[in-house]
Amino acid sequence: MHPSYLGVFLTFARNSLIRDMTFRTNFLIEVVSSMSWMIMNLGFYTLVYQFTPDIEGWGKYEFFVFIATTMFVNSLVQAFFMPNAQELSELVRTGGLDFALLKPIDTQFLVSLRRVNWSSLGNFFVALVLLVYALPRIENFQLFWWQILLYPFYVLMGVLILYSIMITLAATSIWLGRNQSLYDFWFYITNFSRYPMEIYRGSYGEPLRNAFTFVIPILVVINVPAKILAKPFNSQGGGMAADWRFLALFTLFATAASLIFSRWIFKKALGSYRSASS
Amino acid sequence: MVQVPTRSCYPITLLGRSLDGAAPEVCRTTLYFPLIMNAIEIRGLEKSYRVYQKQEGLLASLTGLFQREYRDVNAVKGIDLDVQKGEFVAFLGPNGAGKTTTLKLLSGVISPSGGRATVLGHVPWERENSYRRKFALVMGQKNQLWWDLPAQESFKLHQQIYRIDSQKFNNTRDELVDLLDVRNLLGQPVRELSLGERMKMELTAALLHSPEVLFLDEPTIGLDVIAQHNIQKFLKHYQQVRGITILLTSHYMKDIAALCKRVVMIADGEIMYDGSLEGIIDQFSGHKVLTLQFAEERMPSDLSHYGEVLEIVEPKAKLRVERGEIAGVLSSVLASHSVADVSVEDPPLEDVIADLFKQSTNKQAETKAAAAQATIGK
Repeated sequence: MHPSYLGVFLTFARNSLIRDMTFRTNFLIEVVSSMSWMIMNLGFYTLVYQFTPDIEGWGKYEFFVFIATTMFVNSLVQAFFMPNAQELSELVRTGGLDFALLKPIDTQFLVSLRRVNWSSLGNFFVALVLLVYALPRIENFQLFWWQILLYPFYVLMGVLILYSIMITLAATSIWLGRNQSLYDFWFYITNFSRYPMEIYRGSYGEPLRNAFTFVIPILVVINVPAKILAKPFNSQGGGMAADWRFLALFTLFATAASLIFSRWIFKKALGSYRSASS
Repeated sequence: MVQVPTRSCYPITLLGRSLDGAAPEVCRTTLYFPLIMNAIEIRGLEKSYRVYQKQEGLLASLTGLFQREYRDVNAVKGIDLDVQKGEFVAFLGPNGAGKTTTLKLLSGVISPSGGRATVLGHVPWERENSYRRKFALVMGQKNQLWWDLPAQESFKLHQQIYRIDSQKFNNTRDELVDLLDVRNLLGQPVRELSLGERMKMELTAALLHSPEVLFLDEPTIGLDVIAQHNIQKFLKHYQQVRGITILLTSHYMKDIAALCKRVVMIADGEIMYDGSLEGIIDQFSGHKVLTLQFAEERMPSDLSHYGEVLEIVEPKAKLRVERGEIAGVLSSVLASHSVADVSVEDPPLEDVIADLFKQSTNKQAETKAAAAQATIGK
């Protein structure tokens, strides 16, 4: 008999919520601090748009949609995967991974979703508000049914790509014994994903864009859903490679490849798990 | 695994034929006769680690960044062991003997460097779900319950993971918490429980899915005498009622004496002894303790040539005498002194085992020193 993965996940989510509610104040501080970080970000870009009408074809409100997309993806990753990836390193160091390996359930599933950081979902709602505010203010904006379908779908693809990168990084701690720079490294990489890919131009930008699209596909994470919603028809600069239809197709492949690769790394790493002495 | 049933079948078949000629019938029943089914079979199991040899001092640490010296630690060196279904076996051995490593190999947490093992017909380190729902591992030094939540929430999680049907789950949980007397603590966050209470909750969590094999790694470590006793009582009862197979490691002789008929002594990654607890004395203690109570007013002063003098409290003396010489010593003492009372006893089990452990630790230290010498020599 197979375990009910949904049932297990819901219990994880429920237990996390019970735990978060035990430490209420901590929970509220977390919500407020992550929200204010994103709102400060928004303020920063408002300042920038005082000096320019658009950045490589991204007007102010189009870019707000881009930021909202970043917030959706990040809040989902931070709520469901970030605390677990960070904890994996700790589980390896203390030998707590032993218990995960004993359970008759997929180990990657178990360590990836043990905790849900509910407070990170605060930003999800901020993003919703921002989206509702920014979309109607985009010039000649029209909403098509396929945008409503494709947008959440590609937000999900983005989350899965980021998850794959994160669990791959976290799995290295099984080999290294300890990998505490995980969060820093993560920040360095994902930093590149937070800007429209059109800005990566010139002799320095092109290789960067290609590397972060085709090698580590983090540029498609935000760009593809953001383009689908904010700029479904115009693809300025970058030619074919910036056309969302091509990118959307590529993203499907990139998501599948990232997931398969991360699973392979994870399994390989588990095979050489040494456990900590008790 | 049923081993070569045909062979054990022959004698009874012959017997059957000579009695009434109903050979096939008898033979078929005898197929079930060897119910000596092994729950655990281990052959030549080995595990070695490569550890980074850290040198003392900052400068050495810095050079260690670029040039590392490794040492191979052989935690388990080719163990053979069979454990039958329903046995309660203790692993006894000094720290670092390889007991925990063996349990981790058998639970599939780590993979071996050599040899093979099956538990209930499964190879543990293949980590099949079908195997993982049949056993449990409890470690006294680690906890798996959610620290900030009441134990019952962790139990519910186990119910989901093992997919235990709720009727059965409720029954098992109630039975376990009543046996362990922790029902009133179910709603308290685990971090607020005492060590003993937490261990009882850990045991409950591990047994919710009714495992057929249970591995216990020092389940009573750090507990007071009463808590130790309670857990022993529980384990004994549970094992008898359910007939499950249990492998236990412990440092407490009391745990082992109370629970296990069979003791496997491991030292330095090898099995030194496999048998009853009492048998250890016969095999490893080369001496007996001779207590003499003298009737003379003055104790003889030259007792030391009979054996090692352990203690003198007039008019009594305790001597350690080689086992083979006990008869000779006794008769010569009786011949030359007037003795009021005599007793010959085995030395206390704890002392025998402590001696054995000391020997094996010394041997380990010697090998390590030799290895270090060799490294420096390079």
